[in-house]
Amino acid sequence: MITPTSRLRGSLLHSARILAIVIIVVFELFPIFWMVTTAFKQRIDMFVLPPQWIFKPTLANFRYILSTMPVGRWVLNSSVISLGTMALSLLLGVPAGYAFSRVHFRGKGVLLAFILLTRAIPPVVIVLPFRVIMQRLGLFGTRTAVILIDTVYDAAFTAWLMSGMFASIPVDIEDAALIDGCSPVQVFWKIALPLSKPGLVTASLFTFILSWNDFLFALTLTSPSTATLPIGMLSTYGILKQGWTYMMALGCLAIVPPVFISLLLQRYYVSGLTFGGIK
Amino acid sequence: MKIWTMTSSIRKYFNTGKRSLYLFVIPITLYLIFFFLYPVVYEIYISFFDFSLGSPKTFVGLQNYVFMAHDEQFLHSLVTTVIFVVSAVSAELVLGLGMALLLNHESRIMGIIRTAILIPTVFTPLVAGLVWKALYHPDLGVISYYLRLLGIPIGRGLTVERSTALFSVILVDIWEWSPLVAIIILAGLKNLPKEPYEAAAIDGASSSQMFRYVTLPLLRPVIVVALLIRSLDALKVFDIIWAITGGGPGTATTVANLRIFQVGVQQLRVGYASALSNVLLVISVLAGVFFIRALYSREYGGVQ
Repeated sequence: MITPTSRLRGSLLHSARILAIVIIVVFELFPIFWMVTTAFKQRIDMFVLPPQWIFKPTLANFRYILSTMPVGRWVLNSSVISLGTMALSLLLGVPAGYAFSRVHFRGKGVLLAFILLTRAIPPVVIVLPFRVIMQRLGLFGTRTAVILIDTVYDAAFTAWLMSGMFASIPVDIEDAALIDGCSPVQVFWKIALPLSKPGLVTASLFTFILSWNDFLFALTLTSPSTATLPIGMLSTYGILKQGWTYMMALGCLAIVPPVFISLLLQRYYVSGLTFGGIK
Repeated sequence: MKIWTMTSSIRKYFNTGKRSLYLFVIPITLYLIFFFLYPVVYEIYISFFDFSLGSPKTFVGLQNYVFMAHDEQFLHSLVTTVIFVVSAVSAELVLGLGMALLLNHESRIMGIIRTAILIPTVFTPLVAGLVWKALYHPDLGVISYYLRLLGIPIGRGLTVERSTALFSVILVDIWEWSPLVAIIILAGLKNLPKEPYEAAAIDGASSSQMFRYVTLPLLRPVIVVALLIRSLDALKVFDIIWAITGGGPGTATTVANLRIFQVGVQQLRVGYASALSNVLLVISVLAGVFFIRALYSREYGGVQ
């Protein structure tokens, strides 16, 4: 029976719920909101306290960073490294994932455990010896060095993710094609790959984003000419002192690709985020 | 001629059944051996040497490890790491669970909110760190301004005071990763069976009893996976701390990763840094083994 008090309690609970949701949304989105608004503020406006939320936006910060800093080179380096990592990771990881889901072989368990372990090893542990190896190979300071170490993590991720994706494709179709005389490689190429497009999308966007967002590897392995966006952004920190408006403009440029891609392909992003747990 | 028959017999071998698929795992195996296993083995090897970049290395046996046992700074960084991981991950689980329960409604606005709160997880961590650094700025930061306005004492600033610096970087980790926990739990909530709830309703369970005795136990596997994913990743934290405090003030926010980086990359003491890394390696391999076992034993992910 609905009594006036229980109705009151119900509406109070409802209000508390909405309040809690509002707090969460503000907590999660405020830093992003602040970054974007600061990027469009005049330098004078940004030091005014209390913070001005209504102001006359300007593109001056973007104009300034684009004309005084090698932003183009940083974007190019970030793009080359991310796309290179993505391509190499797919090349190594997708076929491996297929084999994991279709055949049994000796050492499969060890290899799978090994692949999952890459997820656990802190980057700082592997980057030190990796740097020494890159110096010996003459690759230190190149974009290739960053691609090679990013791929360790991303190819392993791809193999794991794709083995789950391929496992969810029924083998009956493939067996029929095998009986019709297709080789297993042809079956992989012509049947399994087209059927696993969602997995391929997830793997592509995730390897790209992981590599794009990397900081530590680029910090230890690049030289000024191969610096990525995060490294470039950090290098301006000292020069600009309190030049937050410029730095936030750079930040906006840096986060456009990952945020845009993840919003556009949200379902795939979530799938990658949970290690293929949510399909 | 002979070579031709040999290659043809190899080809015949691989064309039988699905054997040719073995070839598919060879590239990644070689790659991981050379770029993952080899660096790790090399690091274990080099930890027995006194080796600074640019100078010859000398074998010193266990000296690095003996030194490490008395290295206050490193031991302190391990403690800081434990505090960071435990408090960040437990807060993320609680907050993520709360978020999931609040947002577990099918409506347009809820869908938009669920999407929007995922943005921090895709934010370049270094950029996020620099944004928070500005927000925390003692004099000009928005957070400092509002906290002072509310009359909350923050001393010279949250990131500057030793007592609050670690908390302030933990908060950023919570900001960044609670939504991930929420999304994992939301997926779990969506897949819950209906029958236990019907049975509990017949037995006259209240909604809080249902949550305590039906929902939570059913969500347990999902929560365990979220816990493990987050623990492994929190153990790797570097970028946000580097950006916000650089490990300071003093060593208040220097986690093990940061300490190893300082020793290995900034002071170039590669041999000693390798010994420190091995401690972290053992910890993370143990955590990783737990992770793998959980993935295999729960109905989660693509394990066959």
